[in-house]
Amino acid sequence: MKITDLFQDKITVFTSEVGPVKGCVRDTDDDTTPKCLSEANLVKDYVHAINVTDNQSAVMRLGSLAGSVKLKERGIEPIYQITCRDRNRIALQSEVLTACSLGIDNVLVLTGDHTSLGDHIAAKPVFDVDSVQLLKIASGMKNGYDMMGHELARAPQYALGAVVNPNFTPLDLQLIKMEKKIQAGAEFFQTQAVYDPKLFETFIKKAEKFDVPIQVGVVFVKSAKMAKFMNEKISGITVPESWGKNLEGLTGEKAKEKCVEMTGDLLKEIAPMCQGVHFMPLGWSDLVPRIIDKVFK
Amino acid sequence: MIGTTRKPLDEVLQALEGKEKIVVMGCNGCAKACKTGGDAEVADMAATLTGAGKSVIWEVTPERTCYIQHTTGSLAGHEQTISDTDAFLVLGCGGAAQVARQALDEMGFVKPVKIALNSVGHLDTIIAGKLAIEQCQECGDCVLNETGGICPVTKCAKSLLNGPCGGAQDGKCEVDPQRDCAWVMIYDRLKALGEMEKLYVYRDPKDYSKSNKPRTLVIA
Repeated sequence: MKITDLFQDKITVFTSEVGPVKGCVRDTDDDTTPKCLSEANLVKDYVHAINVTDNQSAVMRLGSLAGSVKLKERGIEPIYQITCRDRNRIALQSEVLTACSLGIDNVLVLTGDHTSLGDHIAAKPVFDVDSVQLLKIASGMKNGYDMMGHELARAPQYALGAVVNPNFTPLDLQLIKMEKKIQAGAEFFQTQAVYDPKLFETFIKKAEKFDVPIQVGVVFVKSAKMAKFMNEKISGITVPESWGKNLEGLTGEKAKEKCVEMTGDLLKEIAPMCQGVHFMPLGWSDLVPRIIDKVFK
Repeated sequence: MIGTTRKPLDEVLQALEGKEKIVVMGCNGCAKACKTGGDAEVADMAATLTGAGKSVIWEVTPERTCYIQHTTGSLAGHEQTISDTDAFLVLGCGGAAQVARQALDEMGFVKPVKIALNSVGHLDTIIAGKLAIEQCQECGDCVLNETGGICPVTKCAKSLLNGPCGGAQDGKCEVDPQRDCAWVMIYDRLKALGEMEKLYVYRDPKDYSKSNKPRTLVIA
């Protein structure tokens, strides 16, 4: 299923996200389920699709394509994330063809976090093409040609997604890049995590003219420590001071309750401004159904 | 210039293991500017090696060791010393060390040429004697005319050609918060120049075949 079909139906589209395990996934006799698949199971009845991250934060893990295929085999719609960090243009095009051949219908194109932020800092960063270029290449492939103009025996088909960061300053520069992504073939957008409704409103008003579906991104803030870490270490995200204060001293179920409450209140305000919500639960996938039940049902 | 830094002394001594009579060769070009291989640093290295039990039989610093005519000119007339030495130790960039090897080859000597420095890039001096930064990767396909004279290939950690990634915060790069985001700098510059329309232009993937190694330049 292409996620773009849902946007055409004008429904609020929910997606969640899982990060593949650092290890392989094989069917074994011991009935254990890798965490990424068990997390997907927690949300599958509540979201329309699940993003599978591509060596997120430049930390080496199971490939996003394998993770995506494993979800598809279990009847869960994957959004296959592909970054420009680790592959050159030959590998990227080949990977996109492989993804389509393995049943992937949704491809989300990102630049990728820099290698120096991950767990293999001595790795050679590739970045042979950027996200705008990869979107254009992947669009061209849908028309039956590789980036060199060589004809494909069979053209792949998929919905192409991209990301945008409403927190970016200057915002106009981010919007110019968003516009270039749309011209290159992006059919839907997921945003970086946003916690400021006014900021999101400003962004949405400026992005309205593009007439492209946008899902607001939300990362679950699990503790005061995490709020502090995100503000200090994660570029492009600002967590309000009050969120950290509200979580001070809370653990376990109490922290989860507060997270549901704060995230729910935020989404009540910002979700109606756009076409959907993209949850980034970071291990708290069990909260996705609780928040959807609380806010949207 | 080619930036250079000193290798740890242990690594240098390991490279010279079993070699007793040493010629220390510097470079009065880039390595002099980096304070890693000019006359003064060659003298320091000679003293250090002597202290480590080596016999330094000659100190020589060609004008620019990567220009073969300078190096060959410095070596000419010193054939006996060259013949006596167990190894050359070059305080220059990787190019200087390889040109020194070639010059010796052409003079008919087969001598080990070791290097005492690490080359760390094509750097531009922005504070004389103090600081040099990388601004050009010699990609063979310059985009400065389109980007307000600021190179995204070099100054953006991801070499992005169509605008910034989402990782910059307050105009600083996600890789190094001390460093300005190249695309925010380009944006500010093009805005000041009244050339904002250039930001909307789609830039094709670079032709990296132009920087396939090793490159050759036919000068004449």
